[in-house]
Amino acid sequence: MASVELTRVAKSFGSTKVIHGIDLRVDDGEFVVFVGPSGCGKSTLLRMIAGLESVTDGTIRISDVVVNALPPRARDIAMVFQDYALYPHKSVYENICFGLRLRKTSAAELDRRVREAADILQIAHLLDRYPRALSGGQRQRVAMGRAIVRDPQLFLFDEPLSNLDALLRNEMRTEIKKLHRRLRATSIYVTHDQVEAMTLADRIVVLSGGHLMQLGSPDDIYHRPVSKFVAGFTGSPPMNFLPASVARPNGVALVELAGGRERFALPARWQALGATLVGRDFEFGIRPEDIGVEARGNDVAEIASTVIVTEPLGAENLVTLGTAGGELTARFAAGVAPRPDEALRLRLDLSHMHLFDRQTGEALRP
Amino acid sequence: MRRNELFTAGRLRLIAAAVVVVNGFFPAVWILLTSVKPELELVRKPITYLPHEFTLDNYVQVFRQQPLGLYLANSVIVASASTVVTLLVSACAAYAIARLRLRHRDLILSAIIASSTFPLVTLLVPIFQTMRAVGLLNTYPALILPYVVLSLPVCTLVLVSFFQSIPRDLENAAMIDGATRFGAMWRIVVPLAAPGVFTAGILAFVNSWDEFLLALSLNSAARMRTLPVGIALYQGEFTFPWHIIAAALVVAIVPIAVLIALFQERVVGGLTTGGMKG
Repeated sequence: MASVELTRVAKSFGSTKVIHGIDLRVDDGEFVVFVGPSGCGKSTLLRMIAGLESVTDGTIRISDVVVNALPPRARDIAMVFQDYALYPHKSVYENICFGLRLRKTSAAELDRRVREAADILQIAHLLDRYPRALSGGQRQRVAMGRAIVRDPQLFLFDEPLSNLDALLRNEMRTEIKKLHRRLRATSIYVTHDQVEAMTLADRIVVLSGGHLMQLGSPDDIYHRPVSKFVAGFTGSPPMNFLPASVARPNGVALVELAGGRERFALPARWQALGATLVGRDFEFGIRPEDIGVEARGNDVAEIASTVIVTEPLGAENLVTLGTAGGELTARFAAGVAPRPDEALRLRLDLSHMHLFDRQTGEALRP
Repeated sequence: MRRNELFTAGRLRLIAAAVVVVNGFFPAVWILLTSVKPELELVRKPITYLPHEFTLDNYVQVFRQQPLGLYLANSVIVASASTVVTLLVSACAAYAIARLRLRHRDLILSAIIASSTFPLVTLLVPIFQTMRAVGLLNTYPALILPYVVLSLPVCTLVLVSFFQSIPRDLENAAMIDGATRFGAMWRIVVPLAAPGVFTAGILAFVNSWDEFLLALSLNSAARMRTLPVGIALYQGEFTFPWHIIAAALVVAIVPIAVLIALFQERVVGGLTTGGMKG
């Protein structure tokens, strides 16, 4: 297996810069997910690592070897494509063993490895079929079989699940995670789906406009986002943002929403920082699960709200609420299903609150 | 009312199709019928459509009067060689245009299209002089080289559109699997573009097979004549032996018909379905 190291990697198409000097190290055996909205450069970056796109600036190392000038075949990598990219004129067996044949693997060894990969992916019964006779999920398994059979030092996944329906996507996501646990292969996975990123990754790279916005564990990205962009990108439904300012009338720093119509004291650990924030504009951020109707913990703020809609999901209810500062979405337990127009006192769990600078979007940390 | 309209539209389509088929096949069928009638029956009035007296004597005569076998062999060699060379060159050119990030790609494509619009007559003298200068007159390359040049533009255009229809990620997958760019083209793109390759091949072959002007001018020696030139020689100064010419034409048509029938079977659509999503 291998490590991957990107040093100030940049990419331009003509005069358009699409990747802006990315520094990143993926450790041996690690599963790293590139996530971001479409056009953020995540697929381009992956294809640069694969050798399918040239590198305009910077260096890419795989196992400490600079690979900038190496063709894809010399990088010892495997890649699973969004559209499967199975060879339509070859059977499943031939699709899987294509890479082994090119490497002149002996017939017996080739057969053994194809069957082993097919067993792992439960496609042994499909080996004689052609791709056109397979379902989407089966095609994706074949594509993964083609990747694992070669035992490469690095696996690259380019949105491999985005063409599958929701149910199959969940199933294949679990399969990929199981596969990684089994093979412990260094993997880089591109997706625009933050749920995939959160569930699969050891570490997540959040990209936007070709810039690396944040690199961290799923827990970091979710609970300690460095910017409003990252905070708004993770979580489903995403974090709520309300325009806010900080006031300090009696020596206690307060958050003011809606021009002071709602105000509550900042938690004790924010007080020191709060004193320096008076007069600036912020976005107050709170995740749907940190909004409740019953008091939880000590750092709780109460605000008034009116129920707009309740969306029951079975295990929980998503409730859209109108407050003086704007709309909020809350995640309530299944038993809490308020009716539209009902007035509710909301309890915001301030131990999980966030403040972002309104101009720069940067997160503030107490 | 609506049913009637549909009925009429269907009929019109049928009539249109019949016109196309009759127009295309009548001359060929007429030549075939002529080739199995004795000479006297051709000038008999009233006209006999189906032969009253069936004979294969014309086919014996056609090989006796002229070395038709030699002309046939010359045509096969020239047309096959020019087809193979045309396919190799046009496949590479088309791949480059369809796939690589070429500077002035559109300009190159326009130049290729423009080059196919020159009338052959204007090219005849320069080609003749060139061939004489390099000492190739009355050789196979004298015809193979210009035939390749003449077929290249249309074959390249056909292949460009076929190559463009093949998803790029198939080649990317092959290159990651261990193929070179040329290997990916050869093992993945060309087999998948088979319908296009066969179409281009048939175009190149028929172009070369039918060509008369260059064949007459560049290879005038008897041993180097191709079929179109050879068949023209059955015509005497005062005679026009239609029955013999018809038999010769049938001999000339058969290889093309066999070729097309053979390749048509291989020009199977939908070969690329299933490899990619959707």
